[in-house]
Amino acid sequence: MRVMVGVKRVVDYAVKVRIQPDKAGVELKNVKMSMNPFCENAMEEAVKLKETKAASEVIAVSIGPKAAKDTLRTALAMGADRGVHVMTDDAVRTDQGLEPLAVAGLLKKVVEEQKVDLVLLGKQSIDGDCSQTGPMLAGMLGWPQATFAAKVTVVEAGKQLEVERETDTGTQVLSVPLPAVVTADLRLNEPRYATLPNIMKAKKKTVDVLTAADMGVDLKPRTTVIEVVPPPVRQGGVIVESVDELIDKLKTEAGVLQ
Amino acid sequence: MMLSRLSTKLPLAPYCRRQCLSLLVPDVVDQGLRLRSAGARRRSTTGASDFFNPTEEHQQLREMVRSFVENEVDPQALQYNREEKFNAEAFKRLGELGLLGVTVAPQYGGSGMDASAACIVHEELSAADPALCLSYLAHSMLFVNNLEQNGSDEQRSRFLPSACEGSTIAGMCMSEPGAGTDVLGMTTKAVPSPDGLSFKIDGAKMWITNGTTDGLTTGDVFLVYARTGPGRQDISMFIVEKGMPGFELGQKIEGKCGMRASMTAELVFDGVEVGRESLVGDENGAMLCMMRNLEIERVTLAAMGVGIARRCIEAMNTYGKERKAFGSPINSFGQIQKHIADSYAEYMAGKHYLYAVAANLDLSSTGNGLDADGTKLYCTTMAKNVADRAMQVLGGYGYCDEYQIERLWRDAKLLEIGGGTLEAHHKNMVRDLAKNMVTLP
Ligand SMILES: Cc1cc2nc3c(=O)[nH]c(=O)nc-3n(C[C@H](O)[C@H](O)[C@H](O)COP(=O)(O)OP(=O)(O)OC[C@H]3O[C@@H](n4cnc5c(N)ncnc54)[C@H](O)[C@@H]3O)c2cc1C
Repeated sequence: MRVMVGVKRVVDYAVKVRIQPDKAGVELKNVKMSMNPFCENAMEEAVKLKETKAASEVIAVSIGPKAAKDTLRTALAMGADRGVHVMTDDAVRTDQGLEPLAVAGLLKKVVEEQKVDLVLLGKQSIDGDCSQTGPMLAGMLGWPQATFAAKVTVVEAGKQLEVERETDTGTQVLSVPLPAVVTADLRLNEPRYATLPNIMKAKKKTVDVLTAADMGVDLKPRTTVIEVVPPPVRQGGVIVESVDELIDKLKTEAGVLQ
Repeated sequence: MMLSRLSTKLPLAPYCRRQCLSLLVPDVVDQGLRLRSAGARRRSTTGASDFFNPTEEHQQLREMVRSFVENEVDPQALQYNREEKFNAEAFKRLGELGLLGVTVAPQYGGSGMDASAACIVHEELSAADPALCLSYLAHSMLFVNNLEQNGSDEQRSRFLPSACEGSTIAGMCMSEPGAGTDVLGMTTKAVPSPDGLSFKIDGAKMWITNGTTDGLTTGDVFLVYARTGPGRQDISMFIVEKGMPGFELGQKIEGKCGMRASMTAELVFDGVEVGRESLVGDENGAMLCMMRNLEIERVTLAAMGVGIARRCIEAMNTYGKERKAFGSPINSFGQIQKHIADSYAEYMAGKHYLYAVAANLDLSSTGNGLDADGTKLYCTTMAKNVADRAMQVLGGYGYCDEYQIERLWRDAKLLEIGGGTLEAHHKNMVRDLAKNMVTLP
């Protein structure tokens, strides 16, 4: 079973983002970038499948500018066998200029070329937070999808998975025939550290570079970002004395109760 | 790139905050020193090489260790310091991450990296827990790297895989109750048997890091320097293992000023018989082993100083912005500015010196003695001074162990003594300068 994992380079989750002075987006200059946390979960799951021999090969794919190479190196150090770098123009922001539709289109090309049985993606990337790429990719490929995966069990390698997925009211268990697209939620696993020996081994693994603009996919964004502004500063709360006072305030001040 | 990364980085947090003190702590302290984010998770590596990270692999190594430290080392440091206990679990994790054999060839279970990589690991670990780092240093540099550089293939295959994995905890025995700086004044002796097939070791070694880990028995395995001839330089090195008859724990050393979560012991050798296969290098040839390994020991101790300094400056910087007095943040006062700015400049000077020396340090030879001594001389006192200023800037909070600086302040002092005292560096450096240098680079 050949597994492909999408790994995206995003602003590190611990960075307190600032808005650019021209309000065109969040500041990306001199900001620490890391692999999207949900992509780490996807990567971890793929490496586990490799360790249990359910997967024969794990391919990490990153779509982004030159620097996305660093994210691929991390994926290789975590245990991917090889990488595919779909190079985008350095001027295009992958957090807002490259939309899920384009990303799904590019991933589809790679899936078809690499003859993949299972695509593992993060449920969303923490920059755009769209949560659309996985479902769109499944739709384009005509494959089943299991989003927000909390547990993946291989029923028969290359044929059938069982996926427990997070929903607002609990979890749902799906029987998923392969090929399929699965998107990872945080609870799926605890991503490993890239150990030092594996960091060293990753040096010798190959990364194929493709050019996004040459792949016959329409990359034009469908939306235009007009302005990015920080959320309003939260006002301090008040401590209420009693439930009655709370209900009163919810009615009169907050207007959320009739 | 470098500078901006520093400035966006928040300091690590003090954990295990006890209720009583927490109640006294104003919000600014809390915000200033809290962990970057609740439930911090492992972070992946990114970023390219730079002066402190000579290759991409070094960069990845640094980020891996840093995120491991945030998630797993920082949270345990205060407790183990208070209890004066060695954290065997955390040490084992260092093995799982491939850090215990950082400079060892992959065939013996190591990661095959260099002096710069060793510095990176020491710097990052020390930013949270210098005591754990000291135990790491004694194991990975003083034993593991020493045997990697000076041992035979048989010795390496026999002892390195378990040491790199962390299933054995090792150390090195040079100092004695009566001889430290004057290392050639050692009196522990190894006398060959009449047939020359074995040696009998008698004597005592003092201040041995990892000499015990449980306070009851010796550590697992040691490289032991002992006198084997009448000449002052007739010193040989032997491998001595736990359980060998006559090899005993003399005492666990209690009540150290700092480095309290690193175990230090006196070890006693009462007629310990070792076979010739335990001799590392040539008989009477251990001076070479010693010289080779002292360089990396000093450089990594310097790296520990750099780590301590970084953490202290991060704490000062954050606290200085947020703590208000007389209606202004305290970093608007000139004296506080001097503490922070002097510290930063000295830290950067030390860090550049360190990584410049590390980049040229060939682990298999000698020849960097002057600068190995020089980096340790500079970076250790720098760390102590920076920690002292950080304590001053944090005022009362700085003086209490929950806020970390107090511990780093105590730990920093050891660096001026262990692995060579400041005075030993002065002596060695002036000897080398007088001998080899007329004009300086
Ligand atoms: C926590 C800790 C861990 C340690 N771990 C280890 C270990 O794992 N293995 C190991 O072998 N050792 C270890 N040591 C020992 C350490 O290396 C020695 O303490 C150090 O070398 C100094 O030796 P000493 O303590 O005997 O002091 P001394 O050498 O007796 O020095 C006392 C004072 O005299 C000064 N002095 C001595 N000679 C001169 C001179 N010629 N000129 C000017 N001043 C001089 C010294 O600088 C110092 O100020 C450790 C020590 C500590 C405290």
